Amino acid sequence: MTNANETFPARAIDRRTVVSGRTVGLIAAALILFAGIGLVSDTFLSGYTMFVLSRQVAFFTIIALAQAVCLTVGGLNLSVGAIGSICTVVLGVSMGEAGLNGWAAVPIVLAAGGAAGFLNGFLIVKLRMDAFIVTLSTMFVYMGLRSGISGGQPYVVPASFGIVGQHGILGIPYVFLIMLPVLAFFSYLYGNTVFGRRMLATGGNADAARLSGISNDNMIMGANTLSGLLSGLAAVLWASELGSAAPETGDSWLIVSFAVAIIGGTSLTGGVVSPFGVLLGGIIYTLIRHGLIEMKANPYYMNVYIGILILLTIAIDRLREVYSRGKGRQ
Amino acid sequence: MLELRNISKSFPGVKALDGVSVTFSPGEIHALVGENGAGKSTLMKIVTGICRPDVGEVLYDGRRLDFQGYRDSLRAGIDIVHQEIQVVPESTVAESIMIDKLATFGRCGIIRWKKVYESALRFMQMVGLNVPPDTIVKGLSVAQKRLTQIARALSADARVILLDEPTASLTEHETGNLFRILRNLKDRGVTLVFVSHKFEEVFALCDRVTVLRDGRCVGTRSIGELKPAGLVRMMIGREVEQAHMGRLNVNRRKVVLSARGLTSKGRIRDNAFDLYEGEILGFYGLVGAGRTELARVVIGADRADRGEIAVRGRTARIRSIADSVYRYRIGYVTENRKEEGLFLRDTVRSNISVAVWPRLRNRVTRRINRGQEDEICRRTVAAMAVRTAGLNQIVENLSGGNQQKISVGKWLAADCDILIVDEPTVGVDVGAKDQIHHLIRDLAQKQRKAVILISSDMPEIIKMANRILVFREGRIVGEVDDVDNPVRGYKEISRAIGAFLQ
Repeated sequence: MTNANETFPARAIDRRTVVSGRTVGLIAAALILFAGIGLVSDTFLSGYTMFVLSRQVAFFTIIALAQAVCLTVGGLNLSVGAIGSICTVVLGVSMGEAGLNGWAAVPIVLAAGGAAGFLNGFLIVKLRMDAFIVTLSTMFVYMGLRSGISGGQPYVVPASFGIVGQHGILGIPYVFLIMLPVLAFFSYLYGNTVFGRRMLATGGNADAARLSGISNDNMIMGANTLSGLLSGLAAVLWASELGSAAPETGDSWLIVSFAVAIIGGTSLTGGVVSPFGVLLGGIIYTLIRHGLIEMKANPYYMNVYIGILILLTIAIDRLREVYSRGKGRQ
Repeated sequence: MLELRNISKSFPGVKALDGVSVTFSPGEIHALVGENGAGKSTLMKIVTGICRPDVGEVLYDGRRLDFQGYRDSLRAGIDIVHQEIQVVPESTVAESIMIDKLATFGRCGIIRWKKVYESALRFMQMVGLNVPPDTIVKGLSVAQKRLTQIARALSADARVILLDEPTASLTEHETGNLFRILRNLKDRGVTLVFVSHKFEEVFALCDRVTVLRDGRCVGTRSIGELKPAGLVRMMIGREVEQAHMGRLNVNRRKVVLSARGLTSKGRIRDNAFDLYEGEILGFYGLVGAGRTELARVVIGADRADRGEIAVRGRTARIRSIADSVYRYRIGYVTENRKEEGLFLRDTVRSNISVAVWPRLRNRVTRRINRGQEDEICRRTVAAMAVRTAGLNQIVENLSGGNQQKISVGKWLAADCDILIVDEPTVGVDVGAKDQIHHLIRDLAQKQRKAVILISSDMPEIIKMANRILVFREGRIVGEVDDVDNPVRGYKEISRAIGAFLQ
């Protein structure tokens, strides 16, 4: 047998790849977009535009995280927006009709989001059904419930509730500031905790995870609960920005959640996620949208561009993979 | 007559075949044997045009063959039945058999299915496949799928059929049935090349045997003039006495794992065994004989209907794999390394430490200690002599042997002292195979682990184990103790399996 030190130089392994090639690409893309729009537009670099855009980034990032945590365990969540809308209704009912004061309703809303997500996970695991089918069905159930309960009418919320969504400090929206610890939490979760790394393992190879003593069922239920919580959080912030609890909240979230998560490097087959990457995805997505508006693109065609963007992102990743595999083999 | 003359073939870094010459005659069943990595697969790929030799030629009835691909070989009447079954799962049996000829059943672009079924039925009867021709392939058993492939080869009027471990995943009964059909084909003058590493099958079925070793042809013998010990000698190349790695120092006073009366319906019946510290206990038998099935009950992947398991002298209640890993420290190295053993697209680090994470967790911050994790991974990589650029290396890019070392190393890192290793050298090359054998020996001898070795590679199990349990139809039908003499080991295993194949 060969000497262990020969085959395995102790130093070589300490060089940890801090920033992957993909992250560099994302940062570069964001910078190019930023510079490009800045050159073309007069209003882009104003404090007001920055405020609005960074708030959008925060929303998109949180919504995309709700999708990413499900993708990571090898599933998906078609009901991210539907959970958001039912959460909005819960918020409206507890603040308006039940008369709960301001932020006291927030824990209730988050609990509702978590419960809705847990139900998704529970159905996937216990009925051994596909995440696609389960979340497609619950999407309709949740959307139907919100229409039924609200009758389509927005709920009035107290004016004080709008502070978080509409204001900021030093030109940075509170919503963005709230997103930062959320991102940090998920980075920590996936990078450093047993639960997070086990969710990655389940998404990477469920059979291998099971034989390693990991309960895939718990991982899937956990991920879906987290997803619901994030949708609930987004709903609260959204209502705070709007200054009312509008039932149609969440109707536009589904496509955004996939687009941003995918641009941000979340693997569609599971096992790979980077919360920081999702933030970069949120920035790029926001900049592209804003750039199109600055270019006076017809807003009715917006979804065409977004769809092409998703396709491009996936195509580029495929190419990178093929290329790096060709290189990796001796 | 199919004749291979002086065939050589190299792949980057490996000389897979080196001047091999063999002749396969009509109406014979010709066994091709050799350890994993001896060159059997490459030889078959060359015969069927899947790859081309660097040097040498293939002659069929005196004509030189120059296949550009598998289609050419089919046209010439040479077909192969792969070990991994290659049929379209959603199609019917008849469709699968006639797939190459469907166009000939067409009229104005419409396939006349009735005709297809009628012609398919003829070939199905030939191989004893007794299902309606419109059965969907997906629902067939492994044996029936293999018969479908053989029928397809016959329908293509193949005069030479190569069979790559055709009995893999077949039960004993199905194997017997397959052998009857193969003998029948032989009587019709078909040339059958039978690749196997199961000695009992080679002796029961074949007329002649060619042995490959490290890419060279050791020789061709008629079965009548050969004894099992002689075949072992040809395969291993050393004197048979050296084909064993020496007696193990087993602590017979210390039972680490024991089972009594373990029964799981349809899988295992009344299994009992003891496993001692420092021992390598071999589980030998055909696929489906109950070896892996027993292992799965022990690790909590399947439920036992009856019976008891004791770990280190205490009754163990193993309800889940997490129980077996974390409470009883039993590690199972699966035979399907890529499908269920590894996180292929993850790092070496995560693959090694996956079962250690809970132990490295800080109570308050829930953080896995990265320093300790890397330390454990580094030690494991060194202990298993894994060749990797670092802990961040993606496992998919490692060789089969190194991947296998990581699958075993994972349980070392997790501090498991009972290891169940299922077919550890499938798909690894000869050099790595030897290294893995030594590593497993060291685990038992130096680290005092207790190892269960599941293998259907008889030379391997004789070489490694100090005691062998022989499985058949879910039961343990024999125990061969103190295996230090391969010839005796072979004889006793054969006796335990019985003469069922004749």
